[in-house]
Amino acid sequence: MSLDISFIGILIGSIMASSVPLILAASGELITERSGVLNLGVEGMMIIGAISGFALMVITDNLFIAIVGSMLSGVIISLIFGFLTQSLLTNHVATGLALTIFGIGLSAMLGKNFVGIPGKEFPILFSSLKESIPFFGPILFGHSIVLYFAFALPFLTNYFLKKTKLGLIVRAVGDSPVSASNQGINVILVRYCCILYGGAMCGLAGAYLSLIYTPQWIENMTAGRGWIALALVVFATWSPIKVLIGALIFGGITILQLHMQAIGFRIPVQFLSALPYLMTIIVLVVISRDSRKIKLNTPTSLGRIFYKEK
Amino acid sequence: MATDLRISNISKIYPGCIANDNVSLQFKSGKIYALLGENGAGKSTLVKILSGVVSPDNGEVFLNEKNLKLSSPLDAKKNKIGMVFQHFNLFETLSVFENLSIDATEDNESLRVRVNEILKKYNFSIDLDVPVLNLSAGQKQKVEIIRCLLRSPKVLIMDEPTSVLTEQETEELFISLKKFCDEGILIIYITHKLKEVLSLCDEVAVMRKGKVVSVSQTQNERVETLANKMVGQKLAKIKKKINISKNKDEIFKVKHLNFYSDDPFETNLVNLNFSVKKGECLGIAGISGNGQNELFQILSGEIITPDTSIIFRNKEIAKLNPKQRREYLMAFSPEDRISQAAVPELKIYENVALNNFKSSNFFEKGLVNEKKIKEHSKKILSDFSVNTDNVELKSQFLSGGNLQKLILGRELITAPELLICYNPTWGLDVGAINYIHETLIKINDQEKSTILISTDTEELLKLSDRIAVIYKGKLSKIMPSEEVTPEKLGLLMGGGSID
Repeated sequence: MSLDISFIGILIGSIMASSVPLILAASGELITERSGVLNLGVEGMMIIGAISGFALMVITDNLFIAIVGSMLSGVIISLIFGFLTQSLLTNHVATGLALTIFGIGLSAMLGKNFVGIPGKEFPILFSSLKESIPFFGPILFGHSIVLYFAFALPFLTNYFLKKTKLGLIVRAVGDSPVSASNQGINVILVRYCCILYGGAMCGLAGAYLSLIYTPQWIENMTAGRGWIALALVVFATWSPIKVLIGALIFGGITILQLHMQAIGFRIPVQFLSALPYLMTIIVLVVISRDSRKIKLNTPTSLGRIFYKEK
Repeated sequence: MATDLRISNISKIYPGCIANDNVSLQFKSGKIYALLGENGAGKSTLVKILSGVVSPDNGEVFLNEKNLKLSSPLDAKKNKIGMVFQHFNLFETLSVFENLSIDATEDNESLRVRVNEILKKYNFSIDLDVPVLNLSAGQKQKVEIIRCLLRSPKVLIMDEPTSVLTEQETEELFISLKKFCDEGILIIYITHKLKEVLSLCDEVAVMRKGKVVSVSQTQNERVETLANKMVGQKLAKIKKKINISKNKDEIFKVKHLNFYSDDPFETNLVNLNFSVKKGECLGIAGISGNGQNELFQILSGEIITPDTSIIFRNKEIAKLNPKQRREYLMAFSPEDRISQAAVPELKIYENVALNNFKSSNFFEKGLVNEKKIKEHSKKILSDFSVNTDNVELKSQFLSGGNLQKLILGRELITAPELLICYNPTWGLDVGAINYIHETLIKINDQEKSTILISTDTEELLKLSDRIAVIYKGKLSKIMPSEEVTPEKLGLLMGGGSID
């Protein structure tokens, strides 16, 4: 069945595309959490990234400015979170929740005039190869640059955390901010940087949705993906590679169950819709059940407020 | 080159407490200096100032007549002041090598070479690539020391280094410290253990309530003189009268206590049988890690083992949980005060309420009777001379000694028939130890019984009527304490046999 082979290739390609925002947001949040900061504002930062990316595209007609702008907007909104939690020592959970609510509200307000405007086509790479090679073509080629970046990101993150000095410092701060501070590391600065980086990645994830995946602005278009990204980080036990696996499973089953619904399987629709969530959790729990590894990867100080003795 | 460290008129005031009051001291390399004082005497604040973690309100620090600005830990490092804190400053989830490389300025290969040189030179055996959380306390301390040595320090400050070490590890530490001293490193040794001062240090400064009260050569001092300087008053010598009456009823009887665990960090217990008489103190000696933890948990009901028979006041209680056992008038004081006996984040009165009984009426119709609990807590604080009367204080702000008094008070206010305690004076200063010992003796005088599981042989010989030794999960013959000598105990604790 030659038709099936190429169909499966296209299917896998679309699964990859749908998991990009999860990979981006979760990889960003992973770094933030590894430094000991729990930012529940992922959804809020994503939606702000989505609207500012789309708005900048409409205003400037320049996709590069739109992408960079969306990341900057993520940085700015996460700066609010950083200032509140790191400088004013507010509770991470409450501040993160507030950030999400704020982001959703603000994006709806900013986006009022952008509803219904058609998006611009985002350039894709190697589009000729996509058509010419069966099966592998649609998997490997014909994607936006953001997708390639997203799939490289977990490996880069892994390398950063395990092999570089800065990664070591981030892990050290997440493990014990007091010890790190006594070693002369500027804990607050490290945490600020991690928060801002997380914000930038969430902004980019939002822009991917509004500029590339479904090029238009719809209110609340992130539709809970930020929360899924957050859950992925935890269930992947703070391992970047497992985040990638989890995001692919989630994206995969989301797409598959849509096809199953379309074909008309005799399974209740509600169960099919719940399937991605269920399967992602089950798989991640199964692949990360080594309690020793969990202990080593978990940032011990996660969500705890740190202040310096004077 | 000789090192000369001078502290001049250092003061540090915290709200409600003068931690350091005009402290001036002078240290010269080639000697080991002791800084002695009870918990809360201001030693830790002083070393935090020297290591740049906190800045003083007043005063200056001079190293070789150079005025040091110590406003961050980096400044102390730059000025070659190394510091090993009592609570380790290590990253538990990172490997040993990662811990060492985090503030290194060189590349990993040359760092590894240097670390291996140090390991070899001082005979340390540590695997560099395991996470720190897998190490023993003694090994963690060595990692801290290596971290200091890597920066070739002029001054090395050790803050209560032996509080987490076994005797063997302590000896090793002393040998290393003497080596460092011979190599010209100035060593400041902070402690509240008098014997360590006498066996290790050349000169001793005693602190009390934030002030330096005496500086002297250790060869002119004895345990008693140091203790009196430290506490500020003469300590009463306590000695227990041995219970002569041998025909008293057995109140507590354990038969066929077996425990088997798959966890390699737990010790299996093999067929333990013993009994405790009314008004008696049964001491259980042993080097830590020989099954004391497991034994305590089984006796308190945290672990239920099958086929074990525990008879208490003629009732079988082997299947009861800790709360039910308490209802039968047993009481427990675990080794780990902070995580097992009390919840550090809770206020004093809330910690008291944790140990509630049907009879205590702390809770009525599902509601907390705060007034009653607070009254009860106030009584404990005053009866057991805890150094505060504020029941709203969070327990984590109590010093070790005061927390132990609170825990004992909470356990004893119900007048239990049997108290089981595990290392009750672990990490406490002389004054608090004395108080706890007096309290434990008082319990026996009132015809109540105690089981004292302890790693401190001196304490066991002082308090117990009969002593047994636990070694690798097996219990030795139970001996009347007048027949036991420290040498005998040491032999049994090391796995030897007598007869």
